[in-house]
Amino acid sequence: MEERSDEQLMQAVMSGDQPALSVLVTRHHGPLLGYLYRLVNGDRQLAEDLVQEAFLRLLRQRSYRAGRPVKPWLYAIATNLARDHFKSAAVRRAGRDSDDSGVLLVLADTAPGPEDHALASERGSEVRAALARLSEEHRVVLVLRFYQGFSLQEIADTLEIPLGTVKSRLSVGVHRLRPMLSPVDDVAGIKKGVN
Amino acid sequence: MSHPHVPYPFEQPEQLAEMLNELDISGEEMAEVLPALERLAEWEAPEPAPADTRLLLSALLPALPNISPVRQAIREHQRDRVAVLLSIARAQVSLFGLGFWLVSALITLIGAGVVLSNLVHEQALALRVIGPLLAYLGTIVAFRGTRARTLELELACLPSPFQLTLARLVVVLGYDVALGLALSLSLWLGGAGQVLTLTLSWLMPLLLIVGLALLLSLRLSLPSAASLAYVVWIAAVVAGHASHLQGLPPTPLMAALPGCLGVVLLAVVLLRLHLRLDQDHLLPHEYSR
Repeated sequence: MEERSDEQLMQAVMSGDQPALSVLVTRHHGPLLGYLYRLVNGDRQLAEDLVQEAFLRLLRQRSYRAGRPVKPWLYAIATNLARDHFKSAAVRRAGRDSDDSGVLLVLADTAPGPEDHALASERGSEVRAALARLSEEHRVVLVLRFYQGFSLQEIADTLEIPLGTVKSRLSVGVHRLRPMLSPVDDVAGIKKGVN
Repeated sequence: MSHPHVPYPFEQPEQLAEMLNELDISGEEMAEVLPALERLAEWEAPEPAPADTRLLLSALLPALPNISPVRQAIREHQRDRVAVLLSIARAQVSLFGLGFWLVSALITLIGAGVVLSNLVHEQALALRVIGPLLAYLGTIVAFRGTRARTLELELACLPSPFQLTLARLVVVLGYDVALGLALSLSLWLGGAGQVLTLTLSWLMPLLLIVGLALLLSLRLSLPSAASLAYVVWIAAVVAGHASHLQGLPPTPLMAALPGCLGVVLLAVVLLRLHLRLDQDHLLPHEYSR
């Protein structure tokens, strides 16, 4: 049987079709979890909660215009949820700290804490830390492009920004990643040279 | 569009190089950034187990819309608003008895007769007095149910009061405009001068009376509102005739003014109805299962 598109499934879901919901959720659960997991700096529980909330918001729409692309819509909801979460987290932090430097809307603390040191031995922690050091707008486009495999146009549709802006953010993000993610061999070579 | 779940979709350096080309990054610059991008694969995201997905589904099921297939089909159908309006209007035609169609046609015939027989010197004036009778009649017949305490019944029907009002206006005004065009044709064939001005003198006050009557009906009973609208119009016509305006030559622009005012009044009425009695507001979808 031919696989139904997201849009066909969504239309069926809006009329209460439970199997259609099951297919739609199964199709997007993994990728969406991966996306949010990387946006929230590897907090799996938080990512799971945001995935659930994103699907709930999708279902609570009173109507669905036939043919509206579902994937960009779902990821737009997820991105906004992640932003909202960290905005409120930043506000809470700002309330706690008496630092007057203003609320820095970053997705994660960049200063390494005890937990970060413990995680440093894990594979991928360097990548995670590098992505966490990027600004939110650059991290989002990088994750969508290089982890989720979105096309440039899909990113533009999801974030509702021009194609040129997507390209420039990706370009800046890639260049900022480069010094933070030197190849492992290089780092080893440098260490050997020092010793 | 398929969505395979792949933890890291670009394992091959060629794929990454292609993506960098899209960003106008090439040559030496690409050689510098490519190793950094290749390392992205090191950070893997967790893949949910089937049990996780089942758990998520169980949390989502209570939020699944539960709309009957019939209502869903109606909603689908309603997307084409013009078609819906016309189908409602077609259903409303049965409200108008044979008497309405015949009396309206008779009034139009009288108007044509008055002009063509040259019985009256002020032909435009005669049409401005006779024409609105059609509006008076149409309003009384089309909206006679407003005082019948049928609001609950109307709300239980799928078309909202706004849609019903619009549909009935389509019927009344459509028929009146058709009669007006027939009058225009008969005047032209009868050799009357200033056919456009005369036709506008017939149709435009008609629009004004419908608009005014419906606006007043928001506060008064419909017969009172329609009567008051007609009386006010006659008074205005008589006052204008008695005053210095009498000396002004009848022009299409002057004749069209009442119609423009009527359209504005109709828009106000429809907006009020839409805001006050929008069925979607009164019947949230949770109750419309």
